[in-house]
Amino acid sequence: MKKKILLATTGSPASFGAARVAFEMAKRYDAELLLFHVAGVPKKGFSYQEVNDVRSQETVQVDDDYMAWVEEELKNTYAKQLEECKNARIILATGLPHREILRAARDEDVDMIIMGAHSGDSSDIYSKGYPGSTLQRVAKAAKCPVMTVHRESASYMGGFSHIVFATDFSKQSESAFKYALSMAKEFDCEMTLFHALDITSKVLAQSDIEDKLITLRKRLRDVYGPKMGDFKNFEVDVWEGNPYVEIVKIARERMADLIVLAHNTRELDPEQARMGSTLEQVLLRANCPVVSVNRPDKV
Amino acid sequence: MPEGILCNKQPIVTDEQLKLTLGDKSGKQYYAEMEQLEVDTDKLWSTIQNTMKSRLKTWLNICAKCGLCADSCFLYECNDRDPRQVPSAKIHATLGEIVKRKGKVDNAFMRKCMDIAWSWCTCCNRCGQFCPHGIDMGVMFSYTRGLLFSQGFVPWELKIGSGMHRVYKAQMDVTTEDWVDTCEWMADENSEEWPGLEIPVDKEDADIMYTLNAREAKHYPEDIAEAAILFHVAGENWTVPSEGWEQTSLTIFAGDWEGCKQQVLHVYDAIERLRPKRVVGTECGHAHRATVIEGPYWAGREDGQPPRPYIHYVEWLAEMLRTGRIKIDPAKRIKEPVTLQDSCNYVRNQGLKNITREIMSYLVEPGYFVEMAPNKEYNYCCGGGGGFNGIGKYRPQRNIALLKKREQILATGCKLVVAPCHNCWDAIRDLEEEYPIGIRWSFLKPLVIKMMIVPDHLKPQDEEGEEE
Repeated sequence: MKKKILLATTGSPASFGAARVAFEMAKRYDAELLLFHVAGVPKKGFSYQEVNDVRSQETVQVDDDYMAWVEEELKNTYAKQLEECKNARIILATGLPHREILRAARDEDVDMIIMGAHSGDSSDIYSKGYPGSTLQRVAKAAKCPVMTVHRESASYMGGFSHIVFATDFSKQSESAFKYALSMAKEFDCEMTLFHALDITSKVLAQSDIEDKLITLRKRLRDVYGPKMGDFKNFEVDVWEGNPYVEIVKIARERMADLIVLAHNTRELDPEQARMGSTLEQVLLRANCPVVSVNRPDKV
Repeated sequence: MPEGILCNKQPIVTDEQLKLTLGDKSGKQYYAEMEQLEVDTDKLWSTIQNTMKSRLKTWLNICAKCGLCADSCFLYECNDRDPRQVPSAKIHATLGEIVKRKGKVDNAFMRKCMDIAWSWCTCCNRCGQFCPHGIDMGVMFSYTRGLLFSQGFVPWELKIGSGMHRVYKAQMDVTTEDWVDTCEWMADENSEEWPGLEIPVDKEDADIMYTLNAREAKHYPEDIAEAAILFHVAGENWTVPSEGWEQTSLTIFAGDWEGCKQQVLHVYDAIERLRPKRVVGTECGHAHRATVIEGPYWAGREDGQPPRPYIHYVEWLAEMLRTGRIKIDPAKRIKEPVTLQDSCNYVRNQGLKNITREIMSYLVEPGYFVEMAPNKEYNYCCGGGGGFNGIGKYRPQRNIALLKKREQILATGCKLVVAPCHNCWDAIRDLEEEYPIGIRWSFLKPLVIKMMIVPDHLKPQDEEGEEE
C-alpha cells in the first residue's frame, strides 16, 4: 500500500468525507498521514503576517499563537480519528491553497493527495486572479494520484471491492490505468474498464451507435487486455451518453467503491473548465471516492 | 526613550531582528515605541545638508503654491478635495517644514510626516506633469521618506521589507536554495505539457537573463513557469541567476537608500557574472524603476545605465509578437471589452505607453480595447502604489484611494482589466474585494499562453485524446 498520504483539509464539514477516507486508509494500510491545512491567503500584497482566514474569511494576524490555535482546532476536529491513527502529522501553511498543497506534496514526496471537491465558496476573491479551483490546479499538476471525496455519503468505509477505471484513451489515461490495475491487484477486487461514448453533441442513428460501441469495446480489450497480466477479475464495457453521467451510472450499478480516471483537461479558466470537465462532474456526483491520475511518477 | 527595541534608527540587518519585528502583532509594540522615539535633530539637519541637492532646494523655493497640482492628485480627489491633500501643501507641511526649522522637529511632527509621506502620497509622480515649474512631489516625497527612515519613522511593514532585502536579498524570506528549488519544481511540473521546458540557472553568456519579484517564488511560482513557457516558445536562450534574481526593491518604498543600493548591486553582480546579452524583468512596475531607471544612479554607474541593456517584460513581449516569434491565434483573441492599467513606474517614469498598446493590438480583437480616461502617462495610480498596498496602518486610507481606479474602470464598462504590474494587479484585486464591481484582472503572461499558437514541434508528442 502507499506509504504517505497527504490529506488537504479545510477542517470544515465540506472535507469530512475526505478526512474519513484518509484516516481509514492510513489506518488500514499503515500509511503515514499528513494532515495539511492552509490557514489563510496572505493579504497586503502577499506581504507579511496578515492573512484572510480560509474558513471565516476574516483578516487575522498570523503568529505562533494563531497557528497554535489553528492546530488545536484541527486536533479537536479530528480528535477521534487522530487517537486511532498514531502515524499522523499536522502541517500548517499560509498561501494560495493549491500552490501550498502542491508544494507540500513535493517537499514530503507523498504517494497520494486526498481532498474534498471544494471548500465551499467558489467565488472567493483569490481564485479569480488565479484561474482554476484548488482541485483543478492540484489534480492537473500533482505528480501523485489525487483522491477526491465530495460528500460524506461517498466516503469509504472499508476495503475496496470494485474499481471502475474510466478511460478516454488519452496518454494520461495510461497512468490512471496502471494505478487502477495496481490497486485492483493489491486489494484483489473486481475491475471494470469503461469508456463512455460521447453522443451529446451529435445526432447518430441507433445502428451507428451500436457499431461504435462494438468497435470501442474491441479497442478497450485491445489496448488494455494485453496489459492485464495475470489479473483476470475484470470486464470491459462501453456505454453511450454524456460521459460523466455514464461513469457515475456504471459505478453505481457495479456498486463500485472507487473510480479512477485521468484528469487531462488543459483548460484552467474556471468558467470554461468547471462544467466541461468530466472529472469535476464525476467527483461531484459519484457515490464513492474518485482518484484522478495525471502522471506516471507515482503509480 | 532615545530608541526602541523594534522601532529605532538602525535598519534590520539580522534574521533575529527580522523575526522579532515580524512577531510584533500588527506592529503594536513598534508603533508604541515610535511614540517615544527621539528625533536626532542634529543628524537630521546634517543629513539634509549633505543630501538635499539644488534641484529639491530650488523646487521648495520656487513652488508658488499656485494649486495647479491639486487636481492632478487622485488622493486629493478621493478625499473630498481636502486642501491639505494638495500636493504642494503636503510637501510644504512635511519636508518644507523640516527644512524651514533646520531639522528642529519633534516626535509628533515626525509621526505626522510619516502619515503624510506614506498615506497621502504614493510617489506616482503624476503631479509633476501639471506643475508649471515641473516640480515633482513624488520625487520630493521619496526623498522625505529617506529622511524619515533614517530617523526610524517608517511604517512597520516597510521596516520589515527593507530588512528582508538586507537579510535575504529579496523582499520575502526566499533563500537561494528555495529559489533554485522553485525553478526545478516549475520546470518539472510543466515538463509534460511542454516537452523540453527548462529553467536554466546560472547559464553564462545567454541571450537573456530574467529577473523577477520574490512574491512569484514565494506564492505564485506559476508566473515563473509562464515566463519559462514563453521564452521556450519564442526559442530564447535564457537563464535566471541563482543569486541576484530579485528585481524588486521594497527599500525604495521604505526610503532605505543604502538598502536600495545593496539590492540593485546584487542584480548587477549577477549580470556581470553571467554576462547575458540583455536582461528582461518581470511584469512589475517598481522593480523596473528600482533596477533600471533609478538603480544605475544608486549603484553609482556613471552612464546612468545598468551593466547590460535591461528591458521591461512588455518590451520583450511586444518584440516577440511583432517579429512573430510568438504568434497569437486570431480565433482566440479577446472578444470582450478589455481595458489596460498603465503602471506609473514604467509608463509615466519610462514612457512605455505605446508598447503596451501595441501588445493589446495583437491580443484583442479590433474594437474591444477600451482606454481608461485619463490614460498613458496621465493615468492615475492604481491606488496602492509606493508601498501603500502593504501597510496595515494605512489600510483605511488605501481603501479610499482605490475609489479613483474604481471610477475609471467602471467608466470603461469593461469586466477584464489587464494589469502588467504586481502592485496594480494587487490593488485591482483588492478593489474587487473592497467594492465588488464584478471585474477580472490578469497579467499578460497567462493571457498570451492561452492565445498563442504553439508550434507543432513544441507540443507533447503522442497526445491522443478522445477518439470521437
